[in-house]
Amino acid sequence: MKKTECVAMLLAGGQGSRLGVLTRKIAKPAVPYGGKYRIIDFPLSNCANSGIDTVGILTQYQPLELADYVGSGKHWDLDRQSGGVHVLPPYQHTSGADWYKGTANAIYQNINFIERYNPEYVLILSGDHIYKMDYSKMIEEHKATNADCTISVIEVPMEEASRFGIINANEDGSIYEFEEKPKVPKSNLASMGIYVFNWDKLRKYLTEDEAKEGSHNDFGKDILPTMLADGNKMQVYRFGDYWKDVGTIESLWDANLDLLNPKIDLNLSDPKWKIYSGTQGLPPQYIADTAKVENSLVTVGCNVYGHLDFSILFENVTVEEGATVEYSLVMPGSRIKKGAVVRYAIVAEDTVIEENAVVGQSPESVGDIKDWGIAVIGEGLTVGKGAFVSAGKMITSEVAEGENV
Amino acid sequence: MITNNTLGIIFANSHDALLGDLTKQRSMASLPFGGRYRLIDFALSNLSNAGIDKVGIITKANYHSLMNHVGNGKPWDLDRKNGGLAILPPYASPEAQVYKGRLEAIYGILEYLLESSEENVVLYDSDVVANIDMKNVLRYHKEKDAEVTVVYTRGDKPEGQNDMMDFRFDSDGRITAVNFEERMNCDYSLDIVVMGRQLLIDIVVSEINAGRVSLSHGIFSKGYGKYRIYGYEHTGYAAVMDSMESYYKANLDILKEDVRNDVFSRNNPVYTKTRDDMPAKYGISAKTKNALIADGCIIEGTVKNSVLFRGVKVGRGAVIENCILMEGTVVGRDSVVKNIITDRFVKITDNQQLDGKKDTPYIYKNSVI
Repeated sequence: MKKTECVAMLLAGGQGSRLGVLTRKIAKPAVPYGGKYRIIDFPLSNCANSGIDTVGILTQYQPLELADYVGSGKHWDLDRQSGGVHVLPPYQHTSGADWYKGTANAIYQNINFIERYNPEYVLILSGDHIYKMDYSKMIEEHKATNADCTISVIEVPMEEASRFGIINANEDGSIYEFEEKPKVPKSNLASMGIYVFNWDKLRKYLTEDEAKEGSHNDFGKDILPTMLADGNKMQVYRFGDYWKDVGTIESLWDANLDLLNPKIDLNLSDPKWKIYSGTQGLPPQYIADTAKVENSLVTVGCNVYGHLDFSILFENVTVEEGATVEYSLVMPGSRIKKGAVVRYAIVAEDTVIEENAVVGQSPESVGDIKDWGIAVIGEGLTVGKGAFVSAGKMITSEVAEGENV
Repeated sequence: MITNNTLGIIFANSHDALLGDLTKQRSMASLPFGGRYRLIDFALSNLSNAGIDKVGIITKANYHSLMNHVGNGKPWDLDRKNGGLAILPPYASPEAQVYKGRLEAIYGILEYLLESSEENVVLYDSDVVANIDMKNVLRYHKEKDAEVTVVYTRGDKPEGQNDMMDFRFDSDGRITAVNFEERMNCDYSLDIVVMGRQLLIDIVVSEINAGRVSLSHGIFSKGYGKYRIYGYEHTGYAAVMDSMESYYKANLDILKEDVRNDVFSRNNPVYTKTRDDMPAKYGISAKTKNALIADGCIIEGTVKNSVLFRGVKVGRGAVIENCILMEGTVVGRDSVVKNIITDRFVKITDNQQLDGKKDTPYIYKNSVI
């Protein structure tokens, strides 16, 4: 059969529980980002732009919306005659049905899918990060160094290195040690969770790992250390551009507001490397006479009559006259009514903030900075008239008129 | 379903000549409108939203930009195995010549009509901006057992076309007279016509054989006693592009909330080819008042009463007032631009003063000022 050089497998099954109410109904890769994107647009656009046109998306937690969004892959030009994108939930086989036990097991259960394309290499990706990367360069380097496995790494500040999976490598880029969240890091090279494997090698290790009693069936914990111990050639691929994990409320908020920072190079409509997204046939945004819009991103279907500063409005958001939105993300379809104030907050999809309600607080207005955090309003909820939601609260049910939470 | 039994025919070059420089290098159908659209998006979306999945676009000249825009019809769900989108260029048959009117245009695509199997045809002019529920039009056509149904609207007749029809009806809505003289507050035709495919073929062949040149003459002028011709009133917003002024005015009409909600109805969305731009970015000193802004814009100056298409950049200290800035227009720092339409990828350098009321109201594509 026709040979595909590289198949990408995107691990999109995690719940992303640290995002709390934002991932109650959707998987983390489906979480909206940057006004008109979802997190999964980044790996999928990177694949399309890198010339990788066969992508398996491993889903498990809340797969419906994600599968619907991915569809035929046409938004990323990944609707192909051969290859294309395939959503791969766990399925039943003769020996029974299994949930994906770990990242490696998810790939193991889809060996048949990968074999259909008879690839030389498999690229493992995750749906947790905001970054623009040319995977084809990484694959080139993998070939040039004759490695069995290449892991993409980024330099993080030394003082933060103990939060990451750290990779210790020789000067020639060959890896000699993995350290998961080391107390005393030896290097500041953090793994980005992006791996290129020679498929023959990976298949062998996946199969052996599956048979191993007590394995977590996880790439970081099991596959990579075993391969290293067996003396396989493992290399780092250094990445130097913008890369951010969006696994927590704070980091998601940060990564969004990074789009407003002129010092950060994160142009998503760069014709040389566009990030694509699903679209819905919405008209351009309307900014009214009464509006004041500064330092913000606003997209299709929005109507702004109020004030906006350091904020991002997603599709179909309305900010009524006299309402104020500052340092906040307002996700698709939500409405901020007259006189309401939204500050340092994430308002999830299809939410209504009623008149004169106040959501979130600035760090300065909170007595003890340790009590401060981003306020989050869950999907489809209403915050009643004149209600108050204090800093750092995560709202999972309706807030009544005048209520103080 | 009646809609699956209906074929759409769009005239891409309807009244091209009336818009002067705007349509010098493009067809009416590919004229940019409303921040992110081309005029044909309204025709294609209205037809597609009604479930019509076979559409032919009759072209005449300047159709490169049109072909580039519509592609295989994917944004309108018209990339189909059965039916789908067909561009019908003027030289489709060996003996074809570039047609003059709609009658000759349809005669030129006779093969396409003969090979189609749909019972009905919708003839759609591309110079109309309106969100028309074609399902309702087709239902009305069926209910009235009409042979021809024409969509009209009530109001002051656009002035650019001297052959625009207005109608009189009997109490049932059947057309009893066709006029050309009325101007104010009349029921004028939007030139969107539903009729039987076979009837269309018969009329076109007999009119051509009789040496005539007008389709409207064939259908309406001598037909209203002969055929059951009904009018369907479109009560929502409608604008016919028949001059640069009407084009300018219709774009600024979209700034009105009621017009915007009507034209970009949530129930019948208007689709277009995407450009995958970032959301619009407003800078630290941006001031925007009463403006329609497309994605990909970067605004660091002042924008008032204007429509900005995708990827427009307004530099710091610049002032834009009463303008239509098409895709990719760049306005440099501290420039003041008023009452002007800029075509695509116009570059206005720093410190320019331009006023369409004093200077030219229109700036050509790719110009640098």
